[in-house]
Amino acid sequence: MLRNQTLIPPFQRPPSQVVIRRVASYHEEIATLIFESLAPFGLQVKGKSVLLKPNLVGLDPHGFINTHPTVIAAARECFLRMGASQVLVGDGPALDRDTEAILESVRLREHLGPLRNVFVDLNLDEVQKVTFPTRASRLRELYLPKTYMGVDFVVSIAKLKTHHWAGVTLSMKNLFGIVPGACYGWPKNVLHWAGIDRAILDINAAARPDFAIVDGIVGMEGNGPIQGQSKASGVLVFGDDPVAVDATCCRVMGLRPERVKYLQQAGTLLGHLQADKIQQVGEQVEGVRQSFQVLPAFHHLVA
Amino acid sequence: MESGLENSDVARICLPFLRDTQNPDGGWGFRPGNSSRVEATCWVLLALWEPSQQLSEDRVRVHRARDFLQTTQLRDGSWPAAPGEEIGCWVTSLCCLALKAIGDQTQGSTIESGLRWICNDWPSDSSPWRRFLARLSSQRDVAPINTSYRGWGWTPGTSSWVEPTSFALMALDRVASLELAAKAKKRRSLATSLLFDRMCPGGGWNAGNPVVYGAAGEPAIVPTAWSLLALRNAQVRPEITQSLDWLQRTAANVQSPGSLSLTEICLRTHGRSQPGMASLGEVLKRSDFLDNTLVAAWCVLACGSDFWLGKPDARTVAA
Repeated sequence: MLRNQTLIPPFQRPPSQVVIRRVASYHEEIATLIFESLAPFGLQVKGKSVLLKPNLVGLDPHGFINTHPTVIAAARECFLRMGASQVLVGDGPALDRDTEAILESVRLREHLGPLRNVFVDLNLDEVQKVTFPTRASRLRELYLPKTYMGVDFVVSIAKLKTHHWAGVTLSMKNLFGIVPGACYGWPKNVLHWAGIDRAILDINAAARPDFAIVDGIVGMEGNGPIQGQSKASGVLVFGDDPVAVDATCCRVMGLRPERVKYLQQAGTLLGHLQADKIQQVGEQVEGVRQSFQVLPAFHHLVA
Repeated sequence: MESGLENSDVARICLPFLRDTQNPDGGWGFRPGNSSRVEATCWVLLALWEPSQQLSEDRVRVHRARDFLQTTQLRDGSWPAAPGEEIGCWVTSLCCLALKAIGDQTQGSTIESGLRWICNDWPSDSSPWRRFLARLSSQRDVAPINTSYRGWGWTPGTSSWVEPTSFALMALDRVASLELAAKAKKRRSLATSLLFDRMCPGGGWNAGNPVVYGAAGEPAIVPTAWSLLALRNAQVRPEITQSLDWLQRTAANVQSPGSLSLTEICLRTHGRSQPGMASLGEVLKRSDFLDNTLVAAWCVLACGSDFWLGKPDARTVAA
C-alpha cells in the first residue's frame, strides 16, 4: 500500500503554501516558533500516530551534517501538543550502521529522553514490499519500513544542504533514509545504480511525506552532504508539499530549482515547482536568500 | 573493558535478552517480536555458541537457528536479507561464516553452495565494460579508486563496498573444497587489494569512499573493525598498523555498545588493547541499546573467546 495519493498534475493541484521563518540560532524558542509556523496548515493530527523523519547521516562532531536535535525535539513537542497519540522519530542512516553511535553524537537522548520507545531504526525495521506507482527508475519496487508506511502522518525533517551527486539534499532526498540498510546496505547502493534522481522520484511517489520541515538554521554548502562547510542560513522552512518546500529552499540557497534534475521532474506530478504556484508565508525568499557554494559540477544550478 | 563473559554485566544483560527472544521459527529479528532475519539469526547463533557461557538449552536454540538458516537458503546457495525475498545478498557470507564457526558437520553442502555463490557473485562496477565507460566519464576523477580490484557489493549487480567485501573474505577464509579453492584464492587476492585501496588516508575505513572531490573521507569504527578482522591473517603491512593505530586512538571516545564491542573484538584479535576504553558493561547499563539484537550479540562476542574467528573446533551441533 502506498502512502497518500501523490500523482497529480500541476494544473489540477491547488497552489501550495510554504512558510519561511527566520531563526538566528538553535538557542531560540524553537518549539514555539514551529508551533506558530504549523498553524496556517491546519494539520489534523489529533489522535493520530506521527513519524518524524530527520536527516541523520553519520557521526557529526561539528553539528551541521544532521538535522539538529533541538529541531527534532521541538517538532515532537509540537505534534504532541497538537494531540497526536504517538510521535515517533525514525531514520535509517546511510553511511554508518551504528545508529546508536550517531544518536549519541547528536545527543538525541538528552533532547528526547529515553529512546527505546521513541526512536525507530528504520534500517532494521520490519519491512514490506512496496511497488512504485511510477517508473522513473528501473527499481519497480523496494522493501520499505512498516513503521514508516503504517503511521498516519509522516514529517520529513531535512537539513538544508548541497549534495555532491544530486545537487541538493532537502525533504525529498531525505527519504533515502527510509530505505532499509539491512536489505540494501550502507550505503544503499541500489539507489545509486538506479539513478539517484530517478530513485528520489519513485520513492517520493510511493511514500510521500505528509509534511516537510527543513532545518536551515545552519546548513551545509560545497561538498555536501557530509564533507561540505557549514552555512549559517538562519531559516526554518515548512510546507505540506515537499516539492514546493524543496523548490523554495533552493531559492533560499541561491539555486535554481528547475535545474535540479529530480525537482524539475517532480514538478510535473508530485508537487509545485513554479514560484507562482507557491504562496510564501512569513519571510519572503528575497529577504533570506543566501549564496550557497556548489561543486563545479553544479555551477549550472546557481541563480 | 570486561575481562570475560562469566558473571559480567554483559552476560547478565545480553544473554537473557537473546535467549528470550528466539522466534518460533528458530530465528531472531532485529528487535524482540520482529520477524526472523538471517543476519540477526547468524549473530545470535554465534553469541549463544560462545563456549564459556553456553547452557545445554543453548544447544537446542542453536539447532533451531541452524534449521532456520537451512530453510531460508535459496536454491542458488545464497541467503536473502528479508523474509520472502528471492534474491540473495551479502548475508550469504555471514551465514557461511556462522555455520562454519559452529563446526556443524551436517552443513557441509549448505555451506559449500553458499561459498560457491559468493565466489560467483561479481560486482558490476568493475566489469571490463564498466571500467571502459568509467575511463570516458567526466566524473572519473571524483572518487579515485582502482576499479581493477574487485570485492563484493551489498546486493548483486552493484558496486564493491568495504563491509560486504570483509565478510566475504572472512567466509572464504576456510574454503575446504578443491573445486572452489582456486577461485576463492583469486577472489581473496583481488578483494584484499581492494580493501587496501579503499583505506582512508591516515588509516581506517569508511563505507568505501576514501576520497571524494579531493576531500579525505573520515573513517568509521564499524567498517574499520570488519576490515581489520578480514585482514587478520594477512601479511602485516603499514596500512594495517596505521588503521589499528586509528582504531586504538578512537576507542577511548567510543560510547555506543555496538561500536565498543566491535572495537574490543578487533583490537584483541590483533593483539592490542586500549586501557582507556569505556567498560562495555557500564555502557550497556546506561544504554538501552535500542533493543537491538545485533548489538546484544556483538557484546557477548566481545567478552568471549573469539572461537568464530578461529579454526572450527571439534565440537559439533550435529552430535
